Amino acid sequence: MEQSLQYFLIPFVNWQMMALIWLGVFAGIWVGAIPGLSVTMAASLLISFTFSWDLNHALALICGVFVGGVYGGSITAILLNIPGAPAAIATGIDGYPLAQRGEAGKAIGLCTTMSVFACFVGIAVLLVGAPIIGDFSLKFSPRDFFLLAIMGILLIGSIGGGDPIKGVTAGVIGVLISMIGMDPSTGEMRYTFGNVYLMAGISFVTAMIGLFGVSEALMQFRNSGMKITKQNLDKVVPNWSTFKKYLPLSIRSSLLGVFIGALPGTGGDVAALLAYDQAKRTVKTPSRPFGTGAYEGVIAPETANKGAIGGAFIPMLTLGIPGDAVTAIIIGALYIHGLRPGPMLMIETPHLFWMIVSCLSIASIALLVLGLVSVKPFAKIIEIPKEYIMPVVIILSVIGTYAIQNSVVDIFFMIGFGIAGYFMRLYGYATGPMVLGLILGPLLDTNYRRAMQGAENQLLPFIQGFFTSPISLFLTLAIFFLIFSQTKIYRRWRRIE
Amino acid sequence: MTGNNATILDNTNTQTSSSQLKDLSRYVPEKRRKPGEIGFSVICFMLGTLGYYFALDMTSGQFSSPSVFPKLASTLIMIFSAINFWKACKKEKPADTDPGLLEYLMPIDVTVIILMLVGYCFFLPRFHFIASSYAFMVITMVYLHRGKKILQALLFSAIALAVLVGVFRYIFLVILP
Repeated sequence: MEQSLQYFLIPFVNWQMMALIWLGVFAGIWVGAIPGLSVTMAASLLISFTFSWDLNHALALICGVFVGGVYGGSITAILLNIPGAPAAIATGIDGYPLAQRGEAGKAIGLCTTMSVFACFVGIAVLLVGAPIIGDFSLKFSPRDFFLLAIMGILLIGSIGGGDPIKGVTAGVIGVLISMIGMDPSTGEMRYTFGNVYLMAGISFVTAMIGLFGVSEALMQFRNSGMKITKQNLDKVVPNWSTFKKYLPLSIRSSLLGVFIGALPGTGGDVAALLAYDQAKRTVKTPSRPFGTGAYEGVIAPETANKGAIGGAFIPMLTLGIPGDAVTAIIIGALYIHGLRPGPMLMIETPHLFWMIVSCLSIASIALLVLGLVSVKPFAKIIEIPKEYIMPVVIILSVIGTYAIQNSVVDIFFMIGFGIAGYFMRLYGYATGPMVLGLILGPLLDTNYRRAMQGAENQLLPFIQGFFTSPISLFLTLAIFFLIFSQTKIYRRWRRIE
Repeated sequence: MTGNNATILDNTNTQTSSSQLKDLSRYVPEKRRKPGEIGFSVICFMLGTLGYYFALDMTSGQFSSPSVFPKLASTLIMIFSAINFWKACKKEKPADTDPGLLEYLMPIDVTVIILMLVGYCFFLPRFHFIASSYAFMVITMVYLHRGKKILQALLFSAIALAVLVGVFRYIFLVILP
């Protein structure tokens, strides 16, 4: 125990590690805030130039970027309705209306405070339950991931905002577009028409930037007058009573985030969407109706995607399986430094576990300070006249899209999605479900087919599987409940209507 | 921190533009259809039809074939688009005072910006990022200010571009188009 504490305290007393964590958080906030620049990209860039560094220093910087980057995605979602990262899509649903009301500062302040709390929840679970959750997450079969993706698809009703049928239509179109490219199982080309640019598929980040960024800019150009909303930045730090009020929701959402984050292949984006839906269903008296600037609508997804950070480290440290893309890169870094991530990692190199826990803790503290300090300069962005800011947003979208795979063709796709998103918005088809469809489409397709192959292509054993495995049964019942909870019978029973 | 904070944060009827914000928590169907709403649902239906048609070329025959999900998604698009079509038909016609289809879809500002975007994409590979982006920003800003504030547009675009290039190219080491 004493030795563990010593390992834990190393980053606190080593000024170089401390400085690198703070630098990482600062850089991460800015990287995360810019659509198209992802934490994954930043982490992979860092690997290349921290190759010759001491492992502890490299880990300190990467952990800082990870925490800062996940947080940064919410800033542009709140300020401009352009999520910096897929994990912030749900944040914009209520965050942007808050900015339109002049409460961007308060929204970011609340989001920062609760995010830090959620980071610590994730770290606490990582400390206490890592081996248990790690083992449990391995029990998930392709059928369970398929069911999890179906649960995700059912969120379309929550994030659509308008006509649910139009939301579903947009979501299914997203699923169809996600099928473009080479089939990962068989290598067969789908909807590529012999075009080499379509063979790798369409990145959902490209689509996201177009559907949110460019279409938002076009909608702004459509609205005459282009009024500037004066932001109230007097008191951005929530007081204790506000913190206490939202604490139960934060705990629920961050625990959900830890759990989803611990499942290999899923991450903060799925966690945030599930948490938003969960909040919408369970919070009976939100500060405002969801979708119009409810604080709960910002807190739930933000705490979930921060909780997912700690969760993503669980399978990585206990089993050597990455929880998400960033932990996959960290695994790569460990290999580069001669370590073998896996069940023996915590036994052979226990200091590494404690070092990561410590780095994440310091990064969370740095996030609180840097996040709150940057609220005012960030919030001032929306006070710049839109005639100036919107052309810059378009150029930012171009840079972000090009950065994904250095392809000009992606820019054409992005603009195409932007124009399509503009028409969709005009006719009440929300763009959020389409991005959700793009994200969940491959997860649905791949896991359905794996599960079906596991059932030897027989429909009956495939369906039976939903009721024979305990995890599948739980998820199936949860899906039935999600569907039932949308019916009038349930709403009347719960006196929602 | 004072109790005022909580009041500010928890105030449900706050300030400015709350009346302009549509309550998205409960869907209230519109009485009148928008110009071109029926046509848009037809386009979605056609997208589903084409999706299904091209999925017929993919390998099929088993429940785990590559064509299963594309066919399923296409069918669902057709079904939901048909529902949207039916719902749009049930609505009242657009009012006489409503703008025409072209005016509704493409107001002059949006048309100009889209044309400039297309032009920007065309010039980007030829004149590279800095020149084409600067030209795009200046022209857009001057247009949106209706030909006024040319100097501010030139200056703001130069500063914005310098910051963008500095941050992305030299700090984040991102390759620019």
